[in-house]
Amino acid sequence: MKHGKEEKTTVLSFSNPVKSRLGGETITRCYQCGTCASSCPVAKINPQFNPREIIKLSLLGEEAEVISSDAVWLCCSCYNCQERCPQKVEIADVIYALRNIAFEEQHSPDIYLEFASALMNNGRLIPISKFLEKKRPDYGLPPLQPTGVEALKKILSAIGLGGQSQKEEAK
Amino acid sequence: MEEVEVGVFLSDCGKQLSKILDFNALTNYVEKISNVTLVKRDSEFWRGEGLQTIVDAVTSGKINRIVVAESLPKLSEVNIVQAVENAGLNPYLVEVIDLKDHCAWPHRETPREATEKAKAMLVAAIERAKLLEPIEKLEFPALKSALVIGGGIAGMQAAVDLADLGFKVNLVEKAPFLGGLAARAGRFFPTDDCAICIQSPASDVKTITHTSRKCVYRSGFSEIPNLNILTNSKVTDVEGGPGNYKVTIEKRPRYVNELKCVRCDLCTPVCPVEVPDEYNAKLKTRKAIYMNIPNVHPPVYVIDDSVCKFRGCAKCVEACPTDAIELDQKSEQVTLNVGSIIVATGFQEFDSSIIKEYHYGDYSDIITHLELARMIDGFGPTGSVIIRPSNRKPAKKIVMIQCVGSRDRRWNAYCSGICCMISLKHAMLVKTAYPNADVTICYIDIRTTGREHERYYERAREMGIKFVKGRPTEILRDPKTNKLIVDVEDALLKRFLELEADLVVLASAMMPAEGTGELAEILGLELDEDGFFKEYNAKLRPTETKLRGIYLCGGATFPKDAPTTSLHAHSAAMKAAKFLTTGKIVKDQRTAIINEEYCGDCEFCPVTCPYGAISLVPTTEEHFVAQVSDLLCEGCGVCVGTCPLNAIELRHSRPNQMLVQMKALMSVNGTSKPLVLAICCSECGHTAVDSSGMAMMQYPANVRVMKVPCTGILQVHQFLEAFKAGAQGVMVVACKSDGCHYEVGSQKAETKVELARTLLKEYGIEPERLVMFGMVFIEGDKFAEAAHVMTERLAKLGPLQMKGEA
Amino acid sequence: MTSYALFLGCTIPARQPNYESSVRKSLSKLGVELVDLPNMTCCAPPPIESINLESSMSIAAYNICLAEEANLDLVTLCSGCFQSLAKTNAMLKADKHLKAKINSILSHTGKKFEGSKEVKHYLQVLVDDISIKRIRQSISKPLHNLKVAAFYGCHALRPSELLKLDDPENPRILDDLIEALGAKSVEYQNKLKCCGGLLRGVSDELALDLAREKLVNTSKAGADCITTLCPFCFIALDIGQIQLRSKLNETYDMPVLHYSELLALSLGIDPEELALDTHKIKIDKVIRKVT
Repeated sequence: MKHGKEEKTTVLSFSNPVKSRLGGETITRCYQCGTCASSCPVAKINPQFNPREIIKLSLLGEEAEVISSDAVWLCCSCYNCQERCPQKVEIADVIYALRNIAFEEQHSPDIYLEFASALMNNGRLIPISKFLEKKRPDYGLPPLQPTGVEALKKILSAIGLGGQSQKEEAK
Repeated sequence: MEEVEVGVFLSDCGKQLSKILDFNALTNYVEKISNVTLVKRDSEFWRGEGLQTIVDAVTSGKINRIVVAESLPKLSEVNIVQAVENAGLNPYLVEVIDLKDHCAWPHRETPREATEKAKAMLVAAIERAKLLEPIEKLEFPALKSALVIGGGIAGMQAAVDLADLGFKVNLVEKAPFLGGLAARAGRFFPTDDCAICIQSPASDVKTITHTSRKCVYRSGFSEIPNLNILTNSKVTDVEGGPGNYKVTIEKRPRYVNELKCVRCDLCTPVCPVEVPDEYNAKLKTRKAIYMNIPNVHPPVYVIDDSVCKFRGCAKCVEACPTDAIELDQKSEQVTLNVGSIIVATGFQEFDSSIIKEYHYGDYSDIITHLELARMIDGFGPTGSVIIRPSNRKPAKKIVMIQCVGSRDRRWNAYCSGICCMISLKHAMLVKTAYPNADVTICYIDIRTTGREHERYYERAREMGIKFVKGRPTEILRDPKTNKLIVDVEDALLKRFLELEADLVVLASAMMPAEGTGELAEILGLELDEDGFFKEYNAKLRPTETKLRGIYLCGGATFPKDAPTTSLHAHSAAMKAAKFLTTGKIVKDQRTAIINEEYCGDCEFCPVTCPYGAISLVPTTEEHFVAQVSDLLCEGCGVCVGTCPLNAIELRHSRPNQMLVQMKALMSVNGTSKPLVLAICCSECGHTAVDSSGMAMMQYPANVRVMKVPCTGILQVHQFLEAFKAGAQGVMVVACKSDGCHYEVGSQKAETKVELARTLLKEYGIEPERLVMFGMVFIEGDKFAEAAHVMTERLAKLGPLQMKGEA
Repeated sequence: MTSYALFLGCTIPARQPNYESSVRKSLSKLGVELVDLPNMTCCAPPPIESINLESSMSIAAYNICLAEEANLDLVTLCSGCFQSLAKTNAMLKADKHLKAKINSILSHTGKKFEGSKEVKHYLQVLVDDISIKRIRQSISKPLHNLKVAAFYGCHALRPSELLKLDDPENPRILDDLIEALGAKSVEYQNKLKCCGGLLRGVSDELALDLAREKLVNTSKAGADCITTLCPFCFIALDIGQIQLRSKLNETYDMPVLHYSELLALSLGIDPEELALDTHKIKIDKVIRKVT
């Protein structure tokens, strides 16, 4: 064995970027016990989604299969799996990390583009109707405070997402 | 003072080396060095005629310091030193170096440079030899007796071994009866026979014809000469050191006189106090006066003082025909003096109720394997019938779950190692007794790595035991039927199963026995990150500790099956016996010495010493001074490196010895390359240099090796001294930081190197001229490569320039 | 008087005046002041975490900074907001590298996360600041005879290591609060399973399957209503029933109420003031039992 020369292996070419990403750090701890799958309310009724399988595919380097399929978007973010995982794999966060990659590669369901532009434009995911805003005094509710949309735009552009959501808006 | 006269003996290894090194030049060079009075050259000096030359020179009184250049110095040194000692010279006045593997072989392509390096090596050895001082042999008396802590199979086996060998043995068990976990486990894999047979003590020594295994309850265990058994007892304090420990034991009252009790069992029927029997998985009750099972050891009743009404009742006292019951017994302190201690405290089952989703403790039909073992045991609470505790009806559908609390980062990250086999054993025992029982094992990985163990697994499959690869997420209970439901994914079929069960058995993790941490504190032993006792070296010294005289065996170091526990126990007993057998400890005074005038009682050294060899003792009312125990000191020098006031030195590696060596190694270059000083620890570092030479790996001759006992000895100013002496770069080569032969030396050196690098900047020296490397013997290639890299780096940096020379 | 900065989030002001008014009015009656701070934003919940975790964490941290500046602890009504904010708060407090990373992003907004404040769900305020005992003493219309199915949802409880609201496998906080009102908390199967709310819009079918399970199990257990502590669970179970009826012709007619609504009713607050017309599934039978 020669020192200083690392051979590149295809197997790790996907688990490494996942592992180095926020949320994906714990993926290689997985030993495929299936606690996550049997904890998952979605997996039990939809064979398309199985967290154990998604992690296995990711660890084996099946990037395309993980990122381009719908499966990764079927997680209901209930954190049951993460709570019970004996290896403390942060499974829900790993799924977020995978979704983040999929989003960057433009493989996300359309609704996420709507979320992104709503956030960028209003600082909120759900717009507040003028009707409801006017009705607030009737319900004995105080007027709404202004939203910090400018700060939010600064955050998104610092991360490099500002342009992206504008692109989506253009669509 | 006697004039120093150095004899130098140069071996050319049957002229092999003279093809590379110019021995005439070396001889001429050495002869001119002051105080060298004799120079000899031969093909070998470590045996035969060559060795006789050295002996003759010593006996004739011509020389009183010896430098030998010999190949394989780690082997030859032993012979040479022994011969020199026999000839009447102190063996520590000898310096052996290796011109073959450290010079000729690795520099064979540059013979001229190699010869120049050999000169430097020789002058360094000679200058060091001149400063060597005689070191005395010390003798400490040791008691020929031992304490064994823990009366499970490990402790019992070790105790019997030592007692058979004639040592006085004290066996201390905290429970009222011997046997530990083993006795509760009932049967053992892979033989499926009863857990508690041990080698009969009498068989080894007394009755030669009797070589069969013996049940501990039939073995006359308590009658073994030299064996003192203390049950219901706990070690509370240990003072002293190897060979002479003073042990304090708290012996809790049994309330039954061991000599009078005849086991007539007239006491239990009259006892009005009935409590759930924990020993038997609470599947039955016991009285306040009780024995675990009929065949316990010692065969004497005990009173549970947490529930007994004592004088308010005293019915047992009336019933006892031999007046054995003594309700007035009090706890007593027993003091023992022993030469050695064996720790055999074992392990315990993890409390699975912490894993809420499994509902152990909530639903009574969820039990652990230790509890199932009680049901399987004929002496157990159900008489070998497997029942559902909730309704006491037979359990027909059984699901076992592996890795409950082990391989689980939330609780115990390690694999307990024995649970797979325990589950297979219990599944098969159940299936043998009830062929129609439906037994399923849910597993993550089945681990059957021992002899016969894989065959065991195969037999389980043959018997129709079902295996599901998957760790269940939850155990539910159907409120209507009271059946348990195990919710699991069969990962191989990718199918979700809801396994119905009458009884769920958890393979709970095995963790360090209760009180392990406390005992470690009392003994001064370290625990590993999982809380088990840490052995000296897992590979070669698995039953020794870093403290001479204290040994470990059985589950105290990690969960073990019975065969491994037995091996371990015999090993610990052997090590203890070797230590105890002569009744004395003989040890060279290769130890640290304190300069009391400089000592500032700062507590750095006592805290840092990995062997607890340094203590602070009062001199005047306000002043303390560090004191080294020659018995405990291992001579590593970590204290030297730690002392901020230079108040400590090693007798065999004084600062002035290191300094002359350093200067001498840098005094001759002979190459066009920048000089590098490689300071190597005597363990992994120096042997890695050996192995690169043995394999004839080539590296440049400007790299010069200096050996120190452990790199932990190094002080920051020594790096600066090396640069001042002419080194353009310094390599520190040591054991890897987690594999240091002196526990903490490499880590200490790393800190020192870091600190020195910052300091170097102050002097205008590039910090990358000082680098630390961790390697092991077989990584000779790593050393050769590091030597190349360092040389190239220094060539690029150009000559060293010190700014504002201090 | 105890004061908190109120983090209202997006869904509640947009969809659930019933939730907002019942919390504001109950807490005010129990002596807790809620302060409305300007310039808060979306909490950056799972939909944003799915897009980019660094962004969501920065946005959450930004909102916590506003509370830090006002020197107030934060209280949330929505479990989604609670999880985003409390998780971020705990992670940044524990990991200085992550904190530095997020602070470098926040520097563009002129904020700096210090880690000096707590994020609480309003249930914690009820239990810790007011106490079960005081609630029991304060109610004027106890809910005797009412059988309530406590539904915790996911995001108030998990990941428990970071949120620390209650034992994730055996939570009691909501059950205790229900019983403080004199009502009975009924046990039902799979109590801790997800409502499916976050799958709405991604896979409506799957979302309804999960909601259905809750409705079936609570009905089986004989509950008069389900009580929730999150607007998403509320939507999944309330509007979910309308969808189950229109798409699949399944009728459950199970009233769904926020805990704060039950609280407000038993504190004697006039139902007229609670915007109860927000409910898609009528809650008349619950009101009848109260009055």
